[in-house]
Amino acid sequence: MKDEKKRNGQKGKKPYLRPEVRQVQLKPEEAVLGGCKINGGGSGPGNLTTCNPLMIQCSVLGTS
Amino acid sequence: MLPSDRFLIRIADITCAVSSADPPLRMTVDESLHNFLVHAGQPDVAIETKIGNLTAFNDIGDLIFDSGAVWRLYQENGTCSFSFQSPSLGPAPYKIARIRRDFTQGEILIHGPFYETKRSIYPLEYPLDELLFINYLALGHGAEVHACGLVDSRGTGHLFLGQSTAGKTTMARLWEDDPGVTILSDDRIILRKIDNQIWMYGTPWHGEAGFAASTRAPLNKVYFLRKGMRNQVSPLKAVESASRFFSCCFPLFYNRDAVDFTLCFFDDVAKNVPCYELSFLPDKSTVEFLLKAED
Repeated sequence: MKDEKKRNGQKGKKPYLRPEVRQVQLKPEEAVLGGCKINGGGSGPGNLTTCNPLMIQCSVLGTS
Repeated sequence: MLPSDRFLIRIADITCAVSSADPPLRMTVDESLHNFLVHAGQPDVAIETKIGNLTAFNDIGDLIFDSGAVWRLYQENGTCSFSFQSPSLGPAPYKIARIRRDFTQGEILIHGPFYETKRSIYPLEYPLDELLFINYLALGHGAEVHACGLVDSRGTGHLFLGQSTAGKTTMARLWEDDPGVTILSDDRIILRKIDNQIWMYGTPWHGEAGFAASTRAPLNKVYFLRKGMRNQVSPLKAVESASRFFSCCFPLFYNRDAVDFTLCFFDDVAKNVPCYELSFLPDKSTVEFLLKAED
């Protein structure tokens, strides 16, 4: 009787889900902000000056 | 936009007020942010900008994170300082943003020698604007993801996530000619949970196709993109989806609480919005396939 009650569980209780380990592929050049986007940087790819205060090429990291 | 001494931008229902404390500092806003300018509203984030000499500006705290690009994050006494530096400009930072830990208030110091006072500047020039927003979001307000977001003609909100070259911009271009479709962004979408509903917001940080709508839509379907030989969807479990969301975001590696919130947030989204893996052909058949799948 006790086992049956245990199996049924209390009403409204979610079933137990075993913890799972998931491997996630993170690309540093995309996960970290700061590199110029593919066409030169700024808020949009067409803007060459925004992330370069004196229009100096910075490192190209991350693409859209 | 004409140079001014104050402007307000609103992205994802978060209002940022930027003002100049220095009379000679004339500010302007990048063209891609023009749709996000507002004229009124209570700011969630208030930033003051000043010109200064940053040559000897060394004492800004402990180095917390080095992006490997132009910015580094320092922290001291509850203040986060983003220091922006370019080797070609010398050892002094060209800009420092000192922000309160809750990201509601701060100041931007611009290195005077690099800026002519007659020239107008955008103080939040990339990546600072996006950095401010992702840090503010990670404090309990939502998350930004690499994604294309759109609303189809039936009002269904679709989110297509993927890292670089997954096909986000391609997907946006496939839908753009369909009448009644609104494309929020082809590269960066902000997700927020408001009034028990998950919303997706357009952002100014667009991809090659240039989609940047300053609107929002309820999130109804999530697709993780995969290039394939045919159009196919496979439902995903919540735990798989949450993992994939995380791989398409901008984790604040230097902030344990922020990472914790972000993971919980994606778990919440994954449990409340149907998520799929989408393998697709780069042609119009994909649009027909997805609309048919809705029926």
